[in-house]
Amino acid sequence: MRAQFLIVDDSHIVRQGLRAILQANPEWEVCGEANDGFSAVEMFKELGPSFVIMDFQMPGMNGIECARRILAIAPAVPIVMFTQHASLELEQHAMEAGIQVVVSKADTFSMIGVIEALLEPSDPISTAEQESGEG
Amino acid sequence: MSEQQKVNILMVDDQPAKLLSYEVILKELGENLIKAHSGRDALDHLLKTDIAIVLMDVSMPELDGFELADIIRQHPRFQKTAIIFISAVHLTDLDQLKAYQRGAVDYISVPIIPELLRAKVSIFADLHRKTRQMEQLNQELRNLSARLMAAQDEERRRIARDLHDSVGQLVVALSMNNGLALLQAEKLSTSASDALRQNAVLTQQLSKEIRTISHLLHPPLLDEIGLLPAIKMFADGFAERSHVKVSVELAPELGRLAPHMEISIFRVVQECLTNVYRHSGSKTAYIKIWPDGDKRLTVQVRDEGKGIPAENRISTSLGINHGLGLSGMRERVRELGGTLEIQSSESGTCITAQFPAAAAAVMGV
Repeated sequence: MRAQFLIVDDSHIVRQGLRAILQANPEWEVCGEANDGFSAVEMFKELGPSFVIMDFQMPGMNGIECARRILAIAPAVPIVMFTQHASLELEQHAMEAGIQVVVSKADTFSMIGVIEALLEPSDPISTAEQESGEG
Repeated sequence: MSEQQKVNILMVDDQPAKLLSYEVILKELGENLIKAHSGRDALDHLLKTDIAIVLMDVSMPELDGFELADIIRQHPRFQKTAIIFISAVHLTDLDQLKAYQRGAVDYISVPIIPELLRAKVSIFADLHRKTRQMEQLNQELRNLSARLMAAQDEERRRIARDLHDSVGQLVVALSMNNGLALLQAEKLSTSASDALRQNAVLTQQLSKEIRTISHLLHPPLLDEIGLLPAIKMFADGFAERSHVKVSVELAPELGRLAPHMEISIFRVVQECLTNVYRHSGSKTAYIKIWPDGDKRLTVQVRDEGKGIPAENRISTSLGINHGLGLSGMRERVRELGGTLEIQSSESGTCITAQFPAAAAAVMGV
């Protein structure tokens, strides 16, 4: 079964770029795009995606709060935070909320490796192996 | 208070005839003349009215002039009220000394020369008017400075947000396109694929630089998560850029504070660390924030550098600026009802800001 992705980002251009990257893999499909946290929660309920890519800074509700709400509905769904504000501090707060990994938007392409690792159940990604925090 | 605004002059004497004569002499000054027939009567007026000058007789029954002056000076509101003594009997140098020790500004002996009394009272009336005017202007300046700082914070927040939302997102898109192209890099010539890889690295660098500028303008975690994570994130970034080792000790029980408090504390810490890097020569810095019960909140930034130069130390303690951003810091702290203390020696500088907990308005952990 193909992995279904929900992209949550207030920037149209970033959503478009992420869609292009994800669709380069025939096993991956983008089932929805939300431009803020509130509609993301609604779309999550409606579409039941298997994976969420989440921005941090968005108007109205930040990505950590949005992830909390989504994880309250589906605790096992993997969520990757994709942000320009990646840092050890943000990572710590994101992890506490149940987000698996924080990937910096400055390092877009490591996103593919992160998703592959998270989708592979026999080899779950260890956050310690990631270099998403830039300090 | 305008130049022409009248000031209040309190005349104290137990003899009505003398009060009348002072009134006649001072009438042409055009100020408000208030008569008190005893020391107690005078105190009543002082508590109710803003008095610029107290003109009083030394010898009065019950409460004499010296005793009255003692009482007046003890009250913080009247520390600077001009007291002029008039006396017909206590005329020795010792008496005069006694008067000046009690804060008198002049000691006039009887018989009074009307022109002289008028001239003296007029000087102190003008002085009072000017002092009031200066106080008012100072307050206006403070209000203006607070409004400017708030506007600057807001403008920085807006520019940071714009950078993130426009240029930042475009660079992210560039970086993603580079990534997509790199997937097929093998189809390109060696020089084209090298150029593509180089572009990917440059784009990543650009993205980091935009991020640093945006974060220095306004820390993104401050609004979303709170002061402590924002300070930790700033300290990490600062340490990386400056190679100054920063230790951060923040009381974890400190929850969210009022937004204007959070931004002010952040800016104080930011300014202090900038000074550590630019001026101190220190390779270490310590940031500590802790609440003292529910009374106050203390923010301290310390370094082990060469200290503020000795010739600047006294003026710095008085709030004079030496390009260290200390006056801005002081204004921020004062605006929140707090105090700023600067200790500096050859072995380092320690800046301590204390805020009343009420101003911090802790909104819960």
